[in-house]
Amino acid sequence: MLLQVIFSGLATGSIYALVALGLSLIYNTTEHVNFAQGEMSMVSAFVGFTFFNMLGLSLPIAILLTLLISALLGIITERLVIRPAMRAPHFNIFIITIGVSIVMKSLSGFIWSHNDYPYPSIFPDETISIGSATIDLIGLGNIGATVLLMVILYAFFKYTRYGTAMRAVSESQNAALLMGVNVKQSFAVTWAISFVVAAVAGILMAPVVFLSTHMGIVVINGFAAAILGGWGSIPGAIIGGMLLGVIDNVAPLYLPSQIKNVVPFAVIFIVLVIRPKGIMGMERFTRV
Amino acid sequence: MQKLRYLSTFGLIVLVALFLTVSDVKAEVGVTDTSILVGCSNSFSGPLVYPGTQLVNNGLKGYFGYINAQGGVNGRKILTQFYDDGYKPQNAVANSKRLVEQDKVFAILASQGTGPVMATVKYLTQNKVPLLFPFQGVPLSGQKTIFTSFTPYPNQSELVVTWLVKVKGFKRIGILYQDDKYGYTFRDPGQKMLQKFGLKWVAAESYKRGAKDLSAQVAKLRKANLDAVLLVATPPPGATFLKEAHKQGWKNTRIISSGPLTDEKYINLTGGVGEGVWGLSLWPDPVHSQDPAVVEYREIMQKYGKDRDKTPNRYSLYGYFYAKLFVEGLKRAGKNVTRESFIAALEGIKDWESGMIPPVSFSGTNHLTQNSGFMVEVQQGVFRPISGWLTLKEGTLVPLK
Repeated sequence: MLLQVIFSGLATGSIYALVALGLSLIYNTTEHVNFAQGEMSMVSAFVGFTFFNMLGLSLPIAILLTLLISALLGIITERLVIRPAMRAPHFNIFIITIGVSIVMKSLSGFIWSHNDYPYPSIFPDETISIGSATIDLIGLGNIGATVLLMVILYAFFKYTRYGTAMRAVSESQNAALLMGVNVKQSFAVTWAISFVVAAVAGILMAPVVFLSTHMGIVVINGFAAAILGGWGSIPGAIIGGMLLGVIDNVAPLYLPSQIKNVVPFAVIFIVLVIRPKGIMGMERFTRV
Repeated sequence: MQKLRYLSTFGLIVLVALFLTVSDVKAEVGVTDTSILVGCSNSFSGPLVYPGTQLVNNGLKGYFGYINAQGGVNGRKILTQFYDDGYKPQNAVANSKRLVEQDKVFAILASQGTGPVMATVKYLTQNKVPLLFPFQGVPLSGQKTIFTSFTPYPNQSELVVTWLVKVKGFKRIGILYQDDKYGYTFRDPGQKMLQKFGLKWVAAESYKRGAKDLSAQVAKLRKANLDAVLLVATPPPGATFLKEAHKQGWKNTRIISSGPLTDEKYINLTGGVGEGVWGLSLWPDPVHSQDPAVVEYREIMQKYGKDRDKTPNRYSLYGYFYAKLFVEGLKRAGKNVTRESFIAALEGIKDWESGMIPPVSFSGTNHLTQNSGFMVEVQQGVFRPISGWLTLKEGTLVPLK
């Protein structure tokens, strides 16, 4: 029973992890906290739904188109609402993204209605037995896809010229600018990548939590995961998300229902007391 | 001089008499010769946005559009005014004050959500504004100006438990409930009913609203070796529960959905693993039923409904049904309708046949529209009745119709 529940927790956690990953990406380059990350997943999932359900395209093509459109939406969002406020205090940007999330949710409801819809998974809807546990391939696929995406992004930021430039932007926009880094472009690319990550999260999440305009609320779990793992750390986002998913699931197994809801937050609290920067978080030094 | 005094006295009397007559025919709040205004605060955003938009746009506006196209009731068109509370009680109060004081509505019709509705009860009662058929399941009785709608949650819970024990002979019954007032109003009355039979919830598990994973709850309930488990949830977690139960290969326990959960959406979301699930249904199937009244609902809703999404569902059916009942009261209240005469007219309704639910009767002391339900089973993705309409009278199941 425990194995079953832990696996289920990892699968749910991979969704939190992807949201945390998107949050971390934007934070890494821009130091902005993006409240619309969950809604970005929701919009992308609906875009995919339009392609395969309403226009009748095959699932792989629909997903490919969705990822492309998501990148475009990322660039548009950045250009329209973030760039004008680029030099504003980070808190202002946070409020702007709350506004973006509300607009996205209302518009989506207008376009696609507020109903819940079943959503097909790219992974087969089958189960395999490992010992006493039944593992579903959708959950397994989600975990795999999340880890893969993390590795790709980690390598991109660590080893490519472009990734390094984007990290430089987050250190100091002015210094990066003086070194010849195109800061505005870095912002745009970051938003595009983050929106694509959100789209992947949306497409993986919708078969599990169903497609609806309420999906975006997962951003709260994403925040918790990002904080637990360490803000801005790519592996941290994954570890935080998975850990949160497992704790969330194992707690009700052993504790009475009145206490279980507190457990994830208690764990976050304890971790942050011991390691204020989160599990994988790095100390950021600012030279003065 | 004397003559003048008589004249002026006479004039004064005439004036007073005139004034009295004028104030006598002064129409009721929200009522003019050509219109009557009703409205409510409802969810057009937030967690209940789908029920809210369907209930209002397709249900209420749909039926009133149909009635207005025929010239209205007693020569009056029915006008509506709605505000969004996003399921927040404080917004519901503000909206209701605005409806009463600024828009001057005749009555509040079909507002939604236990919290928001409860928050407005005191204000509306004090101001003697009728609160008609709110969409919520906590019992509300004893107020002259309040009429309630569907079978209250405690009664639903008692009905299901009694049926499971008395008709099906089940003994080991468990419950999965949402950890809030909706869940408790099923859990606690159900427990009391079970105790009457010398039983109790063998296992009771809960989930937080918005939960995405119910694997632990499913595992625990499964381990309890139950005959049946009552599911008190909203459609998405309800569907998640069924999928998880299917995944874990849990087969030897009958799953029963509560009234609010017995909804086509919940079965659609499960993607086919809901076969054999039982439920308590308060309505005929809005999508498949061929009852003339339900067919008429679909036609009118398609033609006059105002929402982009016109898939038949239990929320637009609700709005439609209670708009129809409101119109029935209005017709009976006649041309010179006041709030008082309207309430008296509703109280005069006896055995009103809607073709959807058992005959509706009100009285001076009974303002509850429905206190019944029937059991259904999911067969080929559709809820099929497995019992007739049932109600509980002093702890005994009584068939209706």
